[in-house]
Amino acid sequence: MEPSALLTFLFLPAAVAVINLFLPVRAAKALTLLTLLYLLYCAITLWPSASLGSSSVYLGVDRLAAFVLLFAQILSTVILLFSLKGVRRDIERFFFVLFPLTVAFCNGVLLSRHALLFLIFWGLSGVSLYLFALLGKDAEASAAAKKTFIIIGGSDVFLILGLVLLIGSRPVDLWWLDKLNLRPEAPLYWLAFVSLLIASLAKAGGFPLHTWVPDFSKSSPIESVALLPASLDKLLGIFLLARMMTSLFVVGLTVKMIVVSIGAFTIISAVMMALSQHNGRRMLGYHAVSQVGYMIMGVGSGNPLAFAGGLFHMINHTIYKSNLFLSLGSVEKQTGSSEFDDLGGLAKSMPLTFIMALVGALAISGIPPFNGFFSKWMIYQGLLETAKTLPVGYQLWMLICLILAIFGSALTLASFVKFLHAVFLGRNPGTHKVREAPINQWLATGILAILCAIFGLFAVALPLKKLIVPVMVDLGMPEAMQFIGFFHPLLLLGLFAVVFGLGILLYFLVRTVRYDDVYLGGQPADPRFRITGSDFYREVREMPVLNKIFAAADKKYCDVYEMGSKGTFAFSGWLQKLHPGLLPLYILYIFLGLLILGLVINIGG
Amino acid sequence: MSLQMVFYLLVFPGLLFTAVLGLSIGWLDRKLSARFQYRVGPPFLQNFYDFIKLLGKETIVVRDSVHSLFIAAPFVAFAMLVCISTLIGVALFYKQGFLGDLFVLMYLLMIYSIALILGGSATGNVYSSLGAGREIKMLLADELAFILICLVAIVKAGYEIGLAEIAAVQQARGAFIASPSGIIAFLIGLICIQAKMALPPFNIAEAETEIVEGPLMEYSGPPLAFWYLNHFMMFTIYPFLLILLFWGGFSANGLGILWFSLKYLLIVVVMIILKNTNPRVRIDSALRFFWRIAFPISFIALVLAVLGV
Repeated sequence: MEPSALLTFLFLPAAVAVINLFLPVRAAKALTLLTLLYLLYCAITLWPSASLGSSSVYLGVDRLAAFVLLFAQILSTVILLFSLKGVRRDIERFFFVLFPLTVAFCNGVLLSRHALLFLIFWGLSGVSLYLFALLGKDAEASAAAKKTFIIIGGSDVFLILGLVLLIGSRPVDLWWLDKLNLRPEAPLYWLAFVSLLIASLAKAGGFPLHTWVPDFSKSSPIESVALLPASLDKLLGIFLLARMMTSLFVVGLTVKMIVVSIGAFTIISAVMMALSQHNGRRMLGYHAVSQVGYMIMGVGSGNPLAFAGGLFHMINHTIYKSNLFLSLGSVEKQTGSSEFDDLGGLAKSMPLTFIMALVGALAISGIPPFNGFFSKWMIYQGLLETAKTLPVGYQLWMLICLILAIFGSALTLASFVKFLHAVFLGRNPGTHKVREAPINQWLATGILAILCAIFGLFAVALPLKKLIVPVMVDLGMPEAMQFIGFFHPLLLLGLFAVVFGLGILLYFLVRTVRYDDVYLGGQPADPRFRITGSDFYREVREMPVLNKIFAAADKKYCDVYEMGSKGTFAFSGWLQKLHPGLLPLYILYIFLGLLILGLVINIGG
Repeated sequence: MSLQMVFYLLVFPGLLFTAVLGLSIGWLDRKLSARFQYRVGPPFLQNFYDFIKLLGKETIVVRDSVHSLFIAAPFVAFAMLVCISTLIGVALFYKQGFLGDLFVLMYLLMIYSIALILGGSATGNVYSSLGAGREIKMLLADELAFILICLVAIVKAGYEIGLAEIAAVQQARGAFIASPSGIIAFLIGLICIQAKMALPPFNIAEAETEIVEGPLMEYSGPPLAFWYLNHFMMFTIYPFLLILLFWGGFSANGLGILWFSLKYLLIVVVMIILKNTNPRVRIDSALRFFWRIAFPISFIALVLAVLGV
């Protein structure tokens, strides 16, 4: 691939962003859509020829990058389709400037071969996240923006540190991010590894650097939530992790196990938090964190099958999670709220949105035959395969991680049952007059829902054989497709359809239907006695031990940002006390300082 | 889809076999329960009569509910249970892998609960919503222990996840139930399936005397008939699964068939005894029982299995 062709992915969207500043909003929308469609076409044509053979020092694209690039274009195109109608009027202009700009930055990260360029685009994509967060309208928006910026920006420091350590000792023309294969004996190897791990976890939203994701999800425009934390940031973070595990470092077993454990802990802790949320956006935000755990487990384990599963889960997640965010966005735009207690009974008035959200919910909970199941299934098999060869202690360790992951998906199902119940089912007289979302919105969610089904039913034939196997071959793991179990989604669907058809046929042959009001033991249905579902899991919250953990989480003890800011203020408060404005005290400080200086020089000399 | 698969699906071990055996065993359930309460109990064909009678009754649909979801739910659950029974049955009786492995099965088993919850809460009935919340909490409660006992079987089979392979390992090396980890896992599994079938003491979601059948409250006529059929079909699916995972599976000779039938009847009778001698527990006690007692015990079983005991 010619490097000049790669420049299209950077400069075209950036140029469109600048042009959009001056165009009327309608024209800006059309131009952005056309640009993204063109980029999608370019990404598709780029895929077969992606190789590092003819790339330059600065830009280059291998299979992994081309793969992620393709999905970045697909997702941003679909999300733009959703945004064509419904973005808040007062932010519309800026939104359509920021959108192509974000795409340009994201493409920049993926196409950079040179570490410095990678770093710059990585930072810029963090900035666009901050700018999107500022567009939020509620009172917490600016606080969420600050938090996002500090965590993401802070993790950039670690990225710089990691990259400097990694390549500082090498000649300048070797600042490439592919094929470094740093061995553990290299100086400061561990520091570099941990620094890059922090950067990738913060971007993807892994524990303990995940806390910006729910806050960002709560208050930013929903389109940007679907675009960044749900899709592009996942792609970027896991892209970096995949690079680390394959071409930057040669990683030993214990490190792999630690990374897998981080993944397992991310899954279970975030999904537990998601269970107890009362706001749809925050709940989905926590799920955006919890799902990262599976990707970290898969990619971090180093097993080829689990690695392929992790990559597959990454794209699956971007598809169903943006679907869910966008469906909730439609609901929010039609009803004006994302609080569970305000919603309910919407399946009747928004049937299309309900179907799309149902597909997304089943996919994220890993219900076969949707895509989420297939990738989780691959990861589980890979982990089992690894466990088989390990000594007993490691075996148990791996099995515990596996239990957490499988149980995590039961918890995911539970919290999505609550979501579906609270938003779409049950009864709420207040939502009878709500209208279905506009066509562009359910078209966008519909495309994503169909992708969920296709990637599940034709998982082996389409995404795996056509996309992921070439990536794995390129990464030197050609044996990725040797499943230890088996699953035939199409046959399952066929058999299911036969029996379901027979049952429904029998029903239609014998049925006599009468319509009546809901039966509550003869009492009238009083809207005061309404079950929204937001309290479904009170018993879980109130369990001994768990109640302590939830209470600690409510006090933000697990939040690096909150704890960090508390620590900083405590330290600066202490410093403030040392400055009471007394002249004799300052003179004492000067003398003490001189004394210490003298001692240090004396010892040093 | 070949003719053989259609036979598997619709006749044996799928639809016809599971439904007939389930309804017959349902008679045993009702008869034994009646004897526990000093009643006479129904005739053998009572469950068949009930099913056919319900097919003839009218279906009452709540006017402002989501009709399609309400009607489709029992049939989705039914179709999924038939697929599951085929999956388990082919592995058990034909010793072949079919449709999917144990991980697939674990996830497919959740679909019944999803259908029950969505169908029930589509009506907007308060009791159904309460029941839906409890149903999913029960799933959370028993799933943790259930995952662990499935892993015990996987580890003991030398990390095989195909059902037929797990059975084959036992045919070659003796049933897992004969080992300490196997027997613990089997017993915990017995309690898990009691919860998964919502039998007392775990009939919390349906609690007739309290929330009037919960998710099933608004159901009537043919859809209700299918919910009952689903319930009785699970009387074959879950015991078969336990036998397959821990108790050596099935041998196709004279003595083997007799031995298999005895194992199956024993499991069912134990379930019925448990059902009739234990009052319903509260949802929080059920959660606590499964997370704080069943989970550690099954974890011990897993540790033992990893150690090869």
